[in-house]
Amino acid sequence: MISDIFLTIITMAFALMVVFSKKTVVAAFALLMTLLSIAMIYFQLGTVFLSAIQVLVNAGAVAILFVFVMMLINLEQFQNNREKGKAKLIISSVTVLVILGVFALIINNNIEVLTSNNIADNSMKALFEKLFNVYYLPFEMATVLLLAALVACVVITGQDKAVAKEEGAKHE
Amino acid sequence: MSSIYYYLAGFLFTLGLLGTIFKKDLISILLCLEMMMGGVSLLIILFSRSTGVLESQLLVFFTIIISACEVAIGLSLIIALYRKKQTIYTDDIKIITE
Repeated sequence: MISDIFLTIITMAFALMVVFSKKTVVAAFALLMTLLSIAMIYFQLGTVFLSAIQVLVNAGAVAILFVFVMMLINLEQFQNNREKGKAKLIISSVTVLVILGVFALIINNNIEVLTSNNIADNSMKALFEKLFNVYYLPFEMATVLLLAALVACVVITGQDKAVAKEEGAKHE
Repeated sequence: MSSIYYYLAGFLFTLGLLGTIFKKDLISILLCLEMMMGGVSLLIILFSRSTGVLESQLLVFFTIIISACEVAIGLSLIIALYRKKQTIYTDDIKIITE
């Protein structure tokens, strides 16, 4: 119970750091820590496989990819300047509070149903039997999606040949 | 006592939403989107725990794959935009209206 509150406070602190830190690099590392604490929460809830996947993919690959891109583009000229408009801030804060209030109301009304632990067999064996027997087609589609994303990244970031030729002519 | 995690998931989602609305540079917007994804995944896991449906864990597995694709393509779009316009601010980008 104490560990629940501890993990929640840590995650909330890092999430606030993501939004309110002045430097984008600090925000990226705060996001890394947020994702790691979410992985710890997964571990505590008993979903060990997803915890490992979260650490490997989201914290290990995605957050580092962010830092890598920040390295590629010159970040010194980009400071994290926020919109100072007061009306916008008030309107969005009210919206967020309303969303959170409705959320809390729904949770409080169904708290007994929501906090019960009904998972009978939480072993990885059961999970993988489902994944590779029933859901093998979505799994294969996911691999195709990853391949498509890879090709898309290469196509989008690859320089145009015409542009490269022009730049080469300029240098000459 | 795992009910506190429900509030945490809602907090992460709304904070990410706020950041997505308010931030001005594209990298911060993508960071906040990733945080929203994290909140939603946590919520699905909690529902999986309370309903006992094992499939929702697989749903989160596929969600993580799709969010990885989304981040990769988003970052490559940012790099392409930076090459073309030398900026990552949303205010400076008027490609559609030009």
